Amino acid sequence: MNLNEKTKPPLKQRNYFKIIRPIFGVLVTLFLIWRLYLVFIVQHQYGPETWTRLLISGLIIGGVYSLIAIGYTLVYGVLLMINFAHGEVMMIGAFTGFFVFEATKSISVPSAGNPELVFSNAYPALSILIAFIAGMAIAAAAGYFLEKIAYRPLRKAPRLIPLISAIGASIFLQNAALLIFSPQTRNYTNPEALSRGDGWKILINGTDVTLPYTGVFTFILSILLMVGLLFVVQKTRLGKAMRAVAMDKDTAALMGIDVNQTISNTFIISGALAGAAGVMWGLHNGMFHYFVGFLPGIKAFTAAVLGGIGNIPGAMLGGMLLGMIESIGPTALDISYQLKDVVAFVILIVILIFRPSGILGEVLAEEKV
Amino acid sequence: MNSHPIRESFQKGIVFAAIMVFMMLTGFHMIAATMVSKIFGVYVLRGSIPEIRFMTYIHVLFGIWAGWSASSKTGKISTRIFRGLVAGFTAGAFIALFDLILNFLIQSGTDIRQYLSALSFESMDYFLMNLGQMGILVHLGIYTATGLAGSALAVFLRSESVQHWWQNLKSNISTFITRTTENLPPFLQKYGKYILYLILLAALLILPTRWGSYLNFVIGLVGLYTIAGIGLNIIVGLSGQLVLGFAAFFAMGAFSVGLLNAPEPHNLMWGFWPAIVVAVLMAIAAAVVLGLPTMRLRGDYLAIVTLGFGEITRILLKSDTLINLTGGPRGILDIHGPTLFGKPFTDVYYVYLIFAGVALSIFLYNRLQDSRTGRAWLAIKEDPIAAQATGVNLQKYKLLALCIGAAFAGLVGGISAARNQFTGPNDHTLMASINVLSLVIVGGMNSIPGIILGAFALKGLPEILREVQNYRQLAFGALLIVMMLMRPEGLWPSSRPLIEKGDRSQIEENKNEEGGKDA
Repeated sequence: MNLNEKTKPPLKQRNYFKIIRPIFGVLVTLFLIWRLYLVFIVQHQYGPETWTRLLISGLIIGGVYSLIAIGYTLVYGVLLMINFAHGEVMMIGAFTGFFVFEATKSISVPSAGNPELVFSNAYPALSILIAFIAGMAIAAAAGYFLEKIAYRPLRKAPRLIPLISAIGASIFLQNAALLIFSPQTRNYTNPEALSRGDGWKILINGTDVTLPYTGVFTFILSILLMVGLLFVVQKTRLGKAMRAVAMDKDTAALMGIDVNQTISNTFIISGALAGAAGVMWGLHNGMFHYFVGFLPGIKAFTAAVLGGIGNIPGAMLGGMLLGMIESIGPTALDISYQLKDVVAFVILIVILIFRPSGILGEVLAEEKV
Repeated sequence: MNSHPIRESFQKGIVFAAIMVFMMLTGFHMIAATMVSKIFGVYVLRGSIPEIRFMTYIHVLFGIWAGWSASSKTGKISTRIFRGLVAGFTAGAFIALFDLILNFLIQSGTDIRQYLSALSFESMDYFLMNLGQMGILVHLGIYTATGLAGSALAVFLRSESVQHWWQNLKSNISTFITRTTENLPPFLQKYGKYILYLILLAALLILPTRWGSYLNFVIGLVGLYTIAGIGLNIIVGLSGQLVLGFAAFFAMGAFSVGLLNAPEPHNLMWGFWPAIVVAVLMAIAAAVVLGLPTMRLRGDYLAIVTLGFGEITRILLKSDTLINLTGGPRGILDIHGPTLFGKPFTDVYYVYLIFAGVALSIFLYNRLQDSRTGRAWLAIKEDPIAAQATGVNLQKYKLLALCIGAAFAGLVGGISAARNQFTGPNDHTLMASINVLSLVIVGGMNSIPGIILGAFALKGLPEILREVQNYRQLAFGALLIVMMLMRPEGLWPSSRPLIEKGDRSQIEENKNEEGGKDA
C-alpha cells in the first residue's frame, strides 16, 4: 500500500441502516394488529373450544421442540456452533423407536384369554420403556460419533468450516436414511393402551375437545426429561464440568476437566434428548419418514434462539412458546394453514433482528452473535 | 493418544466393516460392481446383476485397503504386517456377524425388504458371492487374507528401494517437462498462452454444434452452476458471509422470466431479453429486502436466517396464497425462450449464451476482486472489527456483496427457466442452495478454475454417470465433511493467500529463486 496516495478525509458517515429496524418493526406490528383486529373483532368466528384445541396441540408439539432445542442450546453453549445435524439425530431416534415397536409387535405372547396377544399389547409400559431407552441410546451414540467424526477435528478451524461440515453431516444422514429405509412414509404401531386419536373428552362451549392420551404422555414425559436435565446440569459433577467448559474451555482444562470428554458428554445428552423427542414424535404424530428431522430441527433451533441460545430454561420456554405460536398463529392471523411452517421462520427472522439474545438470554458479546 | 497398536488396528477394522455394511445396506455394492465391470470392459444391462467375480474384486480391494491403512509407517516389519492381519480379521469378523444376523432374520421369516428397502434377496446373495451360508466364512477368509496382503503391500511399497525408484521417476518426469518447455521456439514461448486461448475459444464455439443435445444440456448445466457458483463465491468467498438461501434468488429470476414470457397465468409476453433484465433486478431487490435487516448478523445466525428466507420463498410459492400471481404449486409451464432474428433458440445457442454468461461473470469477478470493493470485502472477511475501525462501512459492503451475488443467481434462474421452459417451486429448494455452496467449497473458494472444476464434478459427472444418481446427495454430504476434514481450501485452491503475504515483486523473486534451484 502506498501511503502517499491521496486518501479521502474521514467523512462523518450517516448510517442509514439504523433506520431500517424501526421501519421494519412498525410494519410487523401494524400487520399483526390488522390481522388480529380482523380475526377477533370483525370476523369473530372461533369460540373458546377452537382455541383450547389449538393450545393443547401447541403445548404437545412445544414439548417436543423444547427437547430438541435443549440439544441445540447445550451444543451451542460449549462449542459456539449450530449443530445442523441435530434434527437428523431426532430422525434416528424416531426410526429406532419404530423398529422397537415393530419388533415387540411381532413377538406373540399367547395367554389363556387372548391367543393372539402380542408383546407390545401385553406389556405396553415395558415396550414403551424399551422403545424410549433404545431410541435415546442409539440417538446418543449418533450424537457421539457425529461429534467425533465431523466436528472434533475441526475445533480449531474458523467457524464457517465446522458449520459446513455439520450441513454435510445433515445431508449425509438424511440420504443414508432415504437409501436404507426407502422414502416411504411409515406409521408407528402404538401399543393399544396408548393408541393415537383416543383421549379424554372435555366439554367446552357445547363441543367435545379431545385431550389425547399420547399427547398427555408426551407432554409429561418431556417435562420429566427437562427436570432431569436441569438436575444433571445444576447438581452433578458432569453438569458442573459442562458449565465450566461452556464458560471457558482453557480455564476449565487448567482446572483438571477433560474438555474433550465433557464435549462428548454434551453431545451424548443432547442426542439422547433428541432421540426421546423422535420417539415422542412417532408416538403422537404416527407418521414419519427420512426427512422428518429437518423441519423440527430448524424450528427447534428457532425455539432455542427465541429463548436465548446457550440458556437451558430459555430453550424450554422457547420451545413451548414456539409450539403454541405455530399452532395458534395461522388461525389467529387468518393465514392459510399451508403457511404454518413460515410462522417459525418469520419469528426467527424477527427475533434475530430485534433481540438476538432471545427472551431469557443476556446480551451476548459481539463474538457470539 | 497412546493407544495400543493392536487396539488401533482393531478400530480400523471396525471402521472398514462399518463402511462395507453401509454400502451393503444402501445397495451400493451392486452399483460399485457395475462400475468395476465397466472398467474391465464388461457392460451390464440396466437393472441386471453384474458378474459375481466383480463383487469378489470389491471385497479383495477393500480388504487390501483396510490392511494398507492399518499398517503403520515405522516400526518392526512383523508388527506392521500383523496390524494388517488384525484389521483384516476384525473387518471380516464384523461383516460375517452382520451376514449372520441378516441370515437369522431371513430364516425367521421377517419380511426384511419392508424395513430395509435396498436389501433384496438378489443383492444379499450377490454380497455373499452366491455362496449361500458358506459366503459368511468366505468373507472372514477373504478379509483376513487381503488384510495381510494389504499390509505386506504397504510394507513393500514404503520400503526404501521402492521409494527411491519412485522419487527418481518423479524427478525424471519433471525435468522432461521443464526441458521440453524450455526448448520450445521463442515464438511459442511468448505467445503460446494466447494460442491456447484461441484454440480453447474455437473449441467452445465449434464443439456444441457437434456434441448433440444431451451433452449440450449437461454442459449448459455445468455452465449455469459455474455462474451461480461465482455469484455465491462473491458472497461466501470474498465477503465471508454464509448464505444458505441462494435458491430464493434463483426463484426470483426464474419466476420473473417465467411470468413475463408464459401464456399462463398473465400472458404478458415481453420477450426474453427485457425479462432477463427484470429477473436480475428482481433478484437484487430480493437481496436488498433480505439484506437490509439481516446483514448485521454474523456467521451461523446469518446462515440460518437466509435458510429461513429461502424456505419462506419456497413455501409461499408452493402454497395457494399466491396462486393467482405465480401459478401456485403447479409452477409455470410453456415459458417462451429467447429469439435471435425471429428464430427461437436451439440448444446450441443456449450453450453459447451460457458460455457468454460464464465469461461475463469471470470478467466481473476478476475486476471486483482486485477493486477497492474487493479489498473491503477481504478486510471484512478477515476481521470485521478491524475493517470497521479502518473505515469500511460493514453493512454497505456486505449488502453490496449479497446484491451482486443475487444478481448472478437471478441471471442463472432466468436462463434456466427459459431453457427448461418450466419453473416451479420445487426447482428452488434448500438442496439447490446447498448444491451451489458445495460446488464452491469442493472446487475451492475464491478460485475460478476451482469453481468450474467443482461445477463439473458435482453437476456434470452425476449426469454422465447415471448409475450413481441415487447416491448423489449422499455423496454430497460425505464430500462436504471429507473436504472440510482433509482439504478445507478445496480441490483447486486460489493463489490469493500467497499474493497477500507480501509484495508482488517479492513473489517474483521467490519464483526466480525456485527456478534457480531446479536448474
